[in-house]
Amino acid sequence: MQQLTSLIIPLLILFIIGHALTKRVAVYEEFVEGARDGFKIAVNIIPYLVAMLFAIAMFRASGALEILVTLLSPIAELFGFPAEVIPMGIIRPLTGSGSVGVLAELISVHGEDSMIVRIAAVMFGSTETTLYVLAVYFGAVKITRTRYAIQAGLMADFAGFIAAISVSYWYFT
Amino acid sequence: MLNKIWAALIITSILFALGQDIYDEVYNTHQNGVIQTIPIVQSDSSTNQLTLIIGQQEIIATLITDEQVKLLLTEHSPLLLREIASAHGNSNSLLATIISRESRHIELLFPALHWAKLRAITQSAFDMAEFAAKLALGLIGIMALWLGLMRISEKSGLIHIMVMLVQPVLRWLFPNIPKDHPAFASISMNMAANILGLGNAATPLGIKAMQQLQKLNHKRDSASDEMCMFLALNTSSVQLLPPVTLIALMGTQTSELIIPIILATSCSTITAIIVAKLYASKGAKNATTD
Repeated sequence: MQQLTSLIIPLLILFIIGHALTKRVAVYEEFVEGARDGFKIAVNIIPYLVAMLFAIAMFRASGALEILVTLLSPIAELFGFPAEVIPMGIIRPLTGSGSVGVLAELISVHGEDSMIVRIAAVMFGSTETTLYVLAVYFGAVKITRTRYAIQAGLMADFAGFIAAISVSYWYFT
Repeated sequence: MLNKIWAALIITSILFALGQDIYDEVYNTHQNGVIQTIPIVQSDSSTNQLTLIIGQQEIIATLITDEQVKLLLTEHSPLLLREIASAHGNSNSLLATIISRESRHIELLFPALHWAKLRAITQSAFDMAEFAAKLALGLIGIMALWLGLMRISEKSGLIHIMVMLVQPVLRWLFPNIPKDHPAFASISMNMAANILGLGNAATPLGIKAMQQLQKLNHKRDSASDEMCMFLALNTSSVQLLPPVTLIALMGTQTSELIIPIILATSCSTITAIIVAKLYASKGAKNATTD
């Protein structure tokens, strides 16, 4: 499957160019014309990304997360899942590199085939870095009023969190 | 909602760091001004080097003068020493004042450490601001590549063929996109890239889709229902293959995670669709009653 995906992009590029040539499109000129926007979009994204990432970085460095986890661990006990997976649930929508760090730490402490690591890995794999995606996609078109996009994204993350726990327990036991 | 989350992140972190620092000051957790008696296990007078034991770790120290000693720190050194060192600008070495020295013991005074958490969050805010700009600029090349290819496909009519293929499915999710609009093609290509775990292609294609949705949007600074739906789909990550980073971390273990990941991601994607649809219909109702 991994080999298949590495073939897709070259074949797609070949197909796009080949198809265009049969339609007598000036491929080089049109490519350059389209590519021109790349710089503008990247620059548009900067303020949105700075705003989002610096706030998240401060939150991570402040250690407030640990307190949040301590506050939330009774809930984990109540529903009978390990409290160790809560940091992943909180960090996953906020930062990609942060959640890699959380997962790597859990692996080194609990080992790859522990339930905690499995749940955390499923969480990691099943949702995206919501706030990053929001900053990049809305930043590119200069949208500041995001309406209900964040609610929908975070609700989906929460559903993914619950699903990761219940699916892992069902699948691995 | 986003405004509140954003402000909450910043305010919580500053208040929390402040609280932590006040606690540290009151209880002197950094042991400021406390003279430490440290055992010497080895001393070499020719190189002026001492081997000290701090927190069960051996630390090499070089005598600079009779009053000052320089400790060489590694990542195994005690956390407190590393914190003091990095607060004074150099995380690999730390200057300490010698109070007295005997053959088996040395009394040291480490530099004071104040407001460590506040300094740490300020530093990471600055670092991340710089990193964010780099990250955005790093998108230029890959953005340009995909936008160029998309432009070729528009001109050759390939996009039109794709629109015809995916339109029947996507019309339900995006009812306000006009029939035969090229946005259907970008959206479906972005989703295909996400499903196959092609992150490099997914972001530029998603941005292309956003641009097309923005052209259909009546309020320039406010997200349309279509945009919210598209974003919710993207954040819930429709994917069949595990991300590359997960494979790097978990190795062969990843293969047995594939099915649970697909199940969990389906749950989050379905939730994203339902929530976005509910909000959209609520918005439509409010608009008609206004």
